[in-house]
Amino acid sequence: MAYILSQFTKPRSLMRAANPIRHLATASSKSAENQQIQVSESCLKRLREICTDGSFLRVTVEGGGCSGFQYKFDLDSKLNDDDRQFGEDKAKVVIDTISLDYCNGATVDYHSELIRAGFRMIANPLAEQGCSCGSSFSIKL
Amino acid sequence: VKGRKLIPTRAALTLTPAAVQRIKSLLQDKPDFVGLKVGVRQRGCNGLSYTLDYASHKADKLDEEVVQDGVKVFIDKKAQLSLLGTEMDYVESKLSSEFVFNNPNIKGTCGCGESFNM
Repeated sequence: MAYILSQFTKPRSLMRAANPIRHLATASSKSAENQQIQVSESCLKRLREICTDGSFLRVTVEGGGCSGFQYKFDLDSKLNDDDRQFGEDKAKVVIDTISLDYCNGATVDYHSELIRAGFRMIANPLAEQGCSCGSSFSIKL
Repeated sequence: VKGRKLIPTRAALTLTPAAVQRIKSLLQDKPDFVGLKVGVRQRGCNGLSYTLDYASHKADKLDEEVVQDGVKVFIDKKAQLSLLGTEMDYVESKLSSEFVFNNPNIKGTCGCGESFNM
């Protein structure tokens, strides 16, 4: 019996040792507890207008754009396990922890100019000078 | 042969109905402005980007004046060659609303579409 038990536990410990990436991922999501993004007043105001049906603004950081990374904004209504929520109940901004690693401390803003009005990410402390449109950025190393 | 005046056969800039609507609503509560002025500025990762301003009068006599469906759009004299034949559209969604320029002269744009080269 003891032999069977040891056979059971063995591969699990082996797997843990062989998969350091998984370890890292859980470690970073633990430190993600104190990571956060700010939501500006203009963004909240706009979200209150458009998120009347329980949807929320989902921010993702993905590879692409002329500077390596770019922000993507979506309206979504399905929460995932690794999501963090910011803002208020009726005006929610949701970001997954992996994306949050790349924009910890940044501010989500809704800006309206004559030529364009839309959501944008400003003052990302982790971003080097990005593209002029503000949608693409590179990470400070 | 005497120099004869060239008469434009086509508008330098066309506006879509959505753009006309938007410009009308923009100018509704601003009686001291008669239209918008489109320009091009050296900016962005791809060289050039569009600018848009309120215009109270024709600032320069070389500026092109486009009148369509009751709205007036001035084209900056430096931007005329780059904007020739462009269609100005207005796209509105929940996430963003913006004027989009469908320019036949451009070679490429930035990923975000804000800057372009020709």
